[in-house]
Amino acid sequence: MDSARREEIARRVLEHSGADQTETLISSTDAALTRFTHEASNQSVALSDVAISVRAIVGGRTGVARTNCLDDASLRDVAARAIALAKLAPADPLQVELPAGAATAAPVGAYDRATAGAPAGVRAAMCDAIFRAAEADGFWCAGYASTDASGITIANSSGALASFDGTAAAVNVKMNAASSTGFGEAYAPAVGSIDAAAAASRAAAKAREGASPRAVDPGGWTVVFEPAAFGELVAYLAEHFSAQSYEEGSSFFSDGLNRRYFADNVTLYDDYAHPLKPGMPFDYEGQPKSRLALIDRGVVRQIVTDSYYARKLGRINTGHALPAPNSWGPQAHDLVVGAGEKTVEQLVAETKRGLLVTRTWYIRTVDRKRAIVTGMTRDGTFAIEDGRVTGGVRNLRFNQSLLEMLQRCEFARDQVRTESYHYALVTPAVKVENFTFTSTTEF
Amino acid sequence: MEFTDLAERALDTSTARGADYADVRFEIERAERIEVRNGVVAALADAGSTGYGIRALVDGAWGFAASSDLTLAGLDAASARAVDIARAGARIARRTIGQPPPDAYVDSFRTKVSRDPGSVPLGERVALLMDAERLLHVSPEISSGRAWMDLWRTRKFFFGTTGSRIDQEILQTGSGIEAMAVGSGDVQTRSFPGDVGLYQTGGWEIVEAARLRENAPRIGEEAVALLRAPQCPSGTLDVVLGGSQVSLQIHESCGHPAELDRVMGWEANFSGTSFLEIDQLDKLRYGSEAVTIVVDNTLPLGMATCGYDDEGSKSVASDIVRDGILRGYEMSNDTARAIGRRSNACVRAQGWAFAPMIRMCNLSLLPGDVPFAGLFEGVADGVYMESNRSWSIDDRRLNFQFGCEIGWEIKNGKRGRMVKNPTYAGMTPQFWNSCDAVADADSWFAWGTPNCGKGEPMQTGRTTQAAAPARFRNVSVGAGYRG
Repeated sequence: MDSARREEIARRVLEHSGADQTETLISSTDAALTRFTHEASNQSVALSDVAISVRAIVGGRTGVARTNCLDDASLRDVAARAIALAKLAPADPLQVELPAGAATAAPVGAYDRATAGAPAGVRAAMCDAIFRAAEADGFWCAGYASTDASGITIANSSGALASFDGTAAAVNVKMNAASSTGFGEAYAPAVGSIDAAAAASRAAAKAREGASPRAVDPGGWTVVFEPAAFGELVAYLAEHFSAQSYEEGSSFFSDGLNRRYFADNVTLYDDYAHPLKPGMPFDYEGQPKSRLALIDRGVVRQIVTDSYYARKLGRINTGHALPAPNSWGPQAHDLVVGAGEKTVEQLVAETKRGLLVTRTWYIRTVDRKRAIVTGMTRDGTFAIEDGRVTGGVRNLRFNQSLLEMLQRCEFARDQVRTESYHYALVTPAVKVENFTFTSTTEF
Repeated sequence: MEFTDLAERALDTSTARGADYADVRFEIERAERIEVRNGVVAALADAGSTGYGIRALVDGAWGFAASSDLTLAGLDAASARAVDIARAGARIARRTIGQPPPDAYVDSFRTKVSRDPGSVPLGERVALLMDAERLLHVSPEISSGRAWMDLWRTRKFFFGTTGSRIDQEILQTGSGIEAMAVGSGDVQTRSFPGDVGLYQTGGWEIVEAARLRENAPRIGEEAVALLRAPQCPSGTLDVVLGGSQVSLQIHESCGHPAELDRVMGWEANFSGTSFLEIDQLDKLRYGSEAVTIVVDNTLPLGMATCGYDDEGSKSVASDIVRDGILRGYEMSNDTARAIGRRSNACVRAQGWAFAPMIRMCNLSLLPGDVPFAGLFEGVADGVYMESNRSWSIDDRRLNFQFGCEIGWEIKNGKRGRMVKNPTYAGMTPQFWNSCDAVADADSWFAWGTPNCGKGEPMQTGRTTQAAAPARFRNVSVGAGYRG
């Protein structure tokens, strides 16, 4: 569904609402993903849907209702349900005026027509290229190829009207050898930029080089984390930058901004327009976004806000609202880690004894205030000896404070788009000294 | 039955376009969420969604297309898309995966409900949560309180070209509270019931059973007390786990590794594989003789309880682990056939928009014969832990580490002082083999998990792991804080 059609639906919803203030989100999705294992598709899916959400505010009371039926009666009903809910809610004295928004422009390259209309054969061809790579090595592979098109329109009674259309394509490959595995991935707004064979080749090389992994002792290690591995870790810092976490005291820097918590080579942005991940230029209230330095050369500078927390804390609205209802508070979802000057190969070459980690897995917070996380390595963990990668090692469990880790790190120069469990982000590889592993596993 | 005409259109179109088999699942979903946070209603939402998913089988490959377009043209387009996707998969496949389901049913199912939540005025529901949240604030050190409630009502209509016509109405209900206390350099959280709330199939009686108002002051007080509690001891100790923590231990270290799709490599790139390999069936000593784990999708109150799964198989009960020995898996039609068995109806989709896949559904550790208090007897030096705070396990489900919100020392058979930040770790089979007692049926409870993630695209599953508290010997305690 194009933006003109979504905006027409949004206008009808606003016309049907008799609330003091009304906001509507119209989101359209056309997504397809082919999942494979053992060189056959085990799940190949496509989804087409349009969802309408209405936030009604009546006398400082808020209700939210949703539907995916587009006829006029359903639009009237969803607006009426939101108002009915609002009238039953206790008033919130901090409830703000919905933002009026402002003109925004989608970043270059966010939408690709070929990706939006990609037929099943395009994804099958990417899978087939991966199958061939697996067969060349006698491995079996598992993963997916996907193409998505999504659009959103946000309109409210304060005059905000913002629309965005974006596309995304991806491949994700795990190569499985007799005693080892390897991982590769690629993400881009345009499916034509995805090189499935190259991702498969990287995964296969990892599986080959990691054969017959040996056990190493847990303890403090010098570790080079490739982007996919580090991205999973750094994503666990994001929630600390929410104004809600900051205000409630659970953020590691709730005691104050503009203090140094990290080494001076650590910079973390929230940047919706990064060329590797061009995204929505406004938040889910229609408030424009801008590039924001959360950590600037080791110093925490910013929290992210929405209209509610901007008013509550007396700060600017940075444009980080999630869709209503949102009990999580505003969130930074476009993380970009600042780059260093060396190549990954140089970081490895300068390591006397260490580990190279391809991917991390199942990270969870152990201690919120100290930002201690636990998790595992997977799909390509290697020994580094005298500056060379010398073979696979069995996977290890870590327990590590992210605050301490980022006081002794060195970043590579090449930033890469990766995705974690909750976040898509852009990061280089990083070398960390004295990273704490506490146990090993059997493979 | 509703949707009959539309279903016939979808199945006819799929067949005409070349599907060897097809099914269509229409769903009408209604989700109500109320959440109170620090005295403010942070969420008061009513979400409705209606649509359908069509599964088509062509030359042994599946295709799935979902849409909310209920016009005939929309059904034709979605049917054609499902067949096209299946055909594209068949062209590149080095082997076949799918076959039509072996059975067909014409039946209906309704969740048993004592009191329909819809009959409870919304104002009454909001007032309950406002009260419970307010009662958490026993001290200025409580920086955040939350109280929430979810009602999920799903109507499902399943039709297959082999003749199935299944109509189901499932009602799932949940509620909970959480207090966060902030002190100098420390944050402590307490939740109730368990760590995610009480989630079961049923109606308003599930909310009433949670007793949120009655427990809120204690939960707030415990959160504050944890700020001043000593750190949990570290070392090799005996551990007694509360029922909700045993439930999560089952979920992560038995439920996921016993998913046969995972065992067969279908989840390898994301959720991982499993150490419960097929050649270990009927051989592997998974746990001690005290450990019997069954999957039962007819379990009263179970979040996954229904008449039929999302590929039309009838709910049954079967063993996963019996007296410590691996005896079975959670299975779909295709995976069960691969090992010469029949599906035990463990296939679910998050909703109409998602393809069905294997979920752990209702997985229960059967109760033992020791009263709860008896678990502490014979423990000279140990820790009792309750309510999960962190959970992590490797991608074959062997090396795990869990943390709990709260613990108490056990000294010479007696529960002693409160300790904070308890964590424990181990390897799955060794850990379950160290289980020497499971509490009896008096403390056995159907703990629901409303947020289990699996699959690509990611799907959220609603599962139950019924469990009682249990005792484990010589466990590694404190690893989370050894860094």
